[in-house]
Amino acid sequence: MENSVIFIDIEKRMLTANGPMNLSIHTTIPAGELVALFGESGAGKTTLLRILAGLVTPDKGLIKFGSTIWFDSEKKINIPPQLRNISLMFQDYALFPNMTVEQNIQFAQPEKDQSKVNELLALFGLTEFRKRKPTGLSGGQKQRVALARALARKPQLLLLDEPLSALDAEMRIALQDEIAQAHQLLGVTTIMVSHDLNEVFRLATQVLCIENGSITRTGKPEEVFSDNSISGKVQITGQIARIEKQDTINVVTVISGNNQIIKVIAFESDLENLKIGDRVMVFSKAFNPIISKLR
Amino acid sequence: MNKLPGKISKVQQSGAILLVDVDVDGHGFSALLIESATHPEWLQVGNTIDLVFKETEVTLAKNLSGIISMRNRMKCTVQRIERGELLSKISLKFQEYLVTSAITTRAVDSLQLALGDEVEALVKANEVSLMKK
Repeated sequence: MENSVIFIDIEKRMLTANGPMNLSIHTTIPAGELVALFGESGAGKTTLLRILAGLVTPDKGLIKFGSTIWFDSEKKINIPPQLRNISLMFQDYALFPNMTVEQNIQFAQPEKDQSKVNELLALFGLTEFRKRKPTGLSGGQKQRVALARALARKPQLLLLDEPLSALDAEMRIALQDEIAQAHQLLGVTTIMVSHDLNEVFRLATQVLCIENGSITRTGKPEEVFSDNSISGKVQITGQIARIEKQDTINVVTVISGNNQIIKVIAFESDLENLKIGDRVMVFSKAFNPIISKLR
Repeated sequence: MNKLPGKISKVQQSGAILLVDVDVDGHGFSALLIESATHPEWLQVGNTIDLVFKETEVTLAKNLSGIISMRNRMKCTVQRIERGELLSKISLKFQEYLVTSAITTRAVDSLQLALGDEVEALVKANEVSLMKK
């Protein structure tokens, strides 16, 4: 399988729920990485994925996969999706209902290779379900078949658009592990849209944060998502919901990004430039928190 | 939070654990930190940083003798005592800096703290954070 650097330099006017926006992406994606496109909905993540797939045409720019030009507005080159050798997978996958699990995977192969089919069945724990039709499978199993099928095409690039967002938390974690394993084993460059921070941390080797159509930060998840300017290793961002003066101190209630309620003791001097509704960071040393398993 | 400006004088590392010595106007402080394999570029000897610790982590002692494991010791003068029902806030002068300690009002009474008292403020090394300037 060929792995190539992807060069992206494109502009695209978009209409979003918040009005017109200019998607302007200039980046290079190293070969073999599992890259997460992270950002709020409407930021342009899915459009970028669809542009790479060839389903959406940029207004101008250049996309190169290794030395192969996929899109060049000046030279009027636009390689159609089926010639880009990619696999694109959405959360609402469509399996062929009249085919078995095994046939679904076989169908996607560019040339028949039963040993590869067996390998994919084993990789996604589908061996015992190989003769079943999709209707007899759970949501997680169907998603595994869809992933196996996406990989059976031997794509040079795997594009995943929030592939696990329809699954429950436990199933999501199991599939995240399998995606990570498949990525490690097959080494195919993978770009995944996600707004689940947990998923990004578990899976991605690189993150591109996209805000309002532009890349704002890139790097490894631990570099991108931690504030490097403070040595405190427990960092939570949130919004001040309440400030209550008690005795000589203030109890500040902060609602974190994932809706956890945190209470922090603050002194008058800490609150000088803080008010309810402000976005804040709560930090502590890695030494202080105590960890215990949830029931 | 308490914030003292200082200069990194030594960084000792063992895996992800870092022991950083900081000089605040000739007075030595230590901070125990956890960092990733490559620690940030501002965390180097010679760099000026802020030493940060929470008021509630500042222990107060009077006439302290013997040896103690606390690495950060500041000789202070009591400047202000704000008594609460359970918790009191003590403002201290350390060199030309203000350091605040929050201790129980019971502790204030048992130390018989009064304005102008000479006390020692103590902070464990693992309670001290460093902040990029």
